[in-house]
Amino acid sequence: MSGDEQEKLPTEAELDSMTRDELVTLGTKLDGVELISYEDPWPVKGTKAEKRAERQVAYWFLLAAVAGIAFIVAFIAWPSEYKAPDTDGYFLYSLYTPVIGVTLGLTVLGLGVGALAYTKKFIPHELAVQDRHDGGSAKIDQETVLAELADAGNRSTITRRSLVKRSAGAAAGVMGLGLVVLPLGGMLKNPFADTNSKDSLWHTGWQPSFPGEKVYLRRNTGDASEVVLIRPEDLDAGGFETVFPFRESERGNEEALSAALHRADNPVMLLRLRPDQNVVKRAGQENFNFGDFYAYSKICTHLGCPTSLYEQQTGRLLCPCHQSQFNVFEYAKPVFGPAARALPQLPLAVDESGYLIARSDFIEPIGPAFWERDS
Amino acid sequence: MTTTPPADAAGTSAPAGKRARSRSKLKRRVSGLLALGIALLGAGALYAVAVPAPQVAQASDTNALVEQGRQLFNNSCISCHGNNLQGVKDRGPSLIGVGSAASYFQLSTGRMPLSGGQTAEAARKPPAFTPQQIDALDAFIQANGGGKEKPTETDQQLIGGDPSRGGELFRLNCAACHHFTGRGGALSSGKYAPELDGVTPSQIYTAMLTGPENMPVYGDRQLTPDEKKDIIGYIKSVTDGNNNPGGNPLGGLGPISEGLIGWIVGIAALVGVTLWIGSKA
Repeated sequence: MSGDEQEKLPTEAELDSMTRDELVTLGTKLDGVELISYEDPWPVKGTKAEKRAERQVAYWFLLAAVAGIAFIVAFIAWPSEYKAPDTDGYFLYSLYTPVIGVTLGLTVLGLGVGALAYTKKFIPHELAVQDRHDGGSAKIDQETVLAELADAGNRSTITRRSLVKRSAGAAAGVMGLGLVVLPLGGMLKNPFADTNSKDSLWHTGWQPSFPGEKVYLRRNTGDASEVVLIRPEDLDAGGFETVFPFRESERGNEEALSAALHRADNPVMLLRLRPDQNVVKRAGQENFNFGDFYAYSKICTHLGCPTSLYEQQTGRLLCPCHQSQFNVFEYAKPVFGPAARALPQLPLAVDESGYLIARSDFIEPIGPAFWERDS
Repeated sequence: MTTTPPADAAGTSAPAGKRARSRSKLKRRVSGLLALGIALLGAGALYAVAVPAPQVAQASDTNALVEQGRQLFNNSCISCHGNNLQGVKDRGPSLIGVGSAASYFQLSTGRMPLSGGQTAEAARKPPAFTPQQIDALDAFIQANGGGKEKPTETDQQLIGGDPSRGGELFRLNCAACHHFTGRGGALSSGKYAPELDGVTPSQIYTAMLTGPENMPVYGDRQLTPDEKKDIIGYIKSVTDGNNNPGGNPLGGLGPISEGLIGWIVGIAALVGVTLWIGSKA
């Protein structure tokens, strides 16, 4: 506020003699705000209703305090160790999470509701009017601000310093280029350029690291460091199991053993069909099975989900993501859903010690289609 | 054969459990115990009435049990499975060599005898035979061609002590179809993997052993008896309302139902509180 009002400002002596109410009125007036009413919710002090309202607020804070103490006690003393259902102490154990949750929740709730209730019951309800400014800034304000900005620029001497200007421009430009590299850089570098590598899209972890390396079928027992190889007699007819590659070089190497279980292109479903089951084999893959044992990649040829729902009577493998179905009685070809290619089959054999091994890697890339793939 | 004690037991306890789910844990616990007590008493009473004195024959003479099984078979199973268990074409498979584990699972879960016409899958229903009759039929099946035997342990003994390892094995082998806390799920063409609530340890064990219907077979060389028991231990720790620390499992289906309820109820509550904060006292 400028102009006339500034002239009306009280002197220091007048300020000293003003009451607090007058100062408040003056302050709001300087901001262009006029207080219409400032209603005290309890005009008569000390009534029963006021005391009741005060107690109500206090109850909430008291609740918060009590619940807080209960939380501390429960957190330290409540039995939190796992108990199996139907054993002693299961009931108390099962309440552990609810108890600490409810007590801590009540503490926060009590504090919050208490503060809100206090605001609602005791803070006066003010009604104020504030003037709106009209139009743009005054001509004098516009001109002076412009002059100040131009002056600051001039004083920084940036207009004369072309070296600083150009180097700053270069830095900003390179940074912009860096942002462009983020999306485009991936197209320059091809991590799958070596199509013979185990890590390329064309091969899987089942590919021998050197010619003649034996790749066994390994069971996941839930313990990543445990090596359990599979013999044909380990699966009953109608059985099925997800298996992973194992090579002797990994024995004792926990990291490699765990990685073999987690590598995305490794899971293979080993199926043992019933002996009287008629099976249609794929042309060129007639000898990929070992007796009743068939092994197919678990990675769906649609978008790469695990096709792990196996119906052993109807011979269907179901993919849970988009409901593709594969018929294992007919070289795992797709019979329903969006998948278009059969699940790749792993050629099986049994070595001289009776363990199931993979004769080679898959003869085609597993999983969903990719750019370079032509089938 | 007309009275079916276990059916009554299931009938009285199941709705009681449902109703109480929304109430407090303690109430649910108490009403569950009451329902269980009543169901047990009722089952015991009916059992006593229906089966006057079977113990003598059962304990002393296996042949008598097999003979009783043959009688029951001839009365109830012969039209589909044939007079020598060889099966009847287009009606029922041969039962030679399936073993008592398979017959126990099929009979005790009520899937056999089939009823209600040919459906995509036999549904679980109250068993048509008493436990003693099922024992007799099991003995008869086992006596004809052998096969996998049902475990001799009691239900309590079949619950393994390492539900953590059981959970790992369950997620590796079972969760694809049965869902990771045993809620079950859909398969192809109307078939489904049933939910695992209310299934006894013996039934789970024999199901793994024999692979009923479209379930794969998990022989003892694939999942050892100990591993099977741990899997049962895990299933028992997450089914039958045991995986319910929040009071209401919301179907136990994970983030979808929980997110939906959290979103709708949570947002509504937030809007309500905001309105209350903004309102005048």
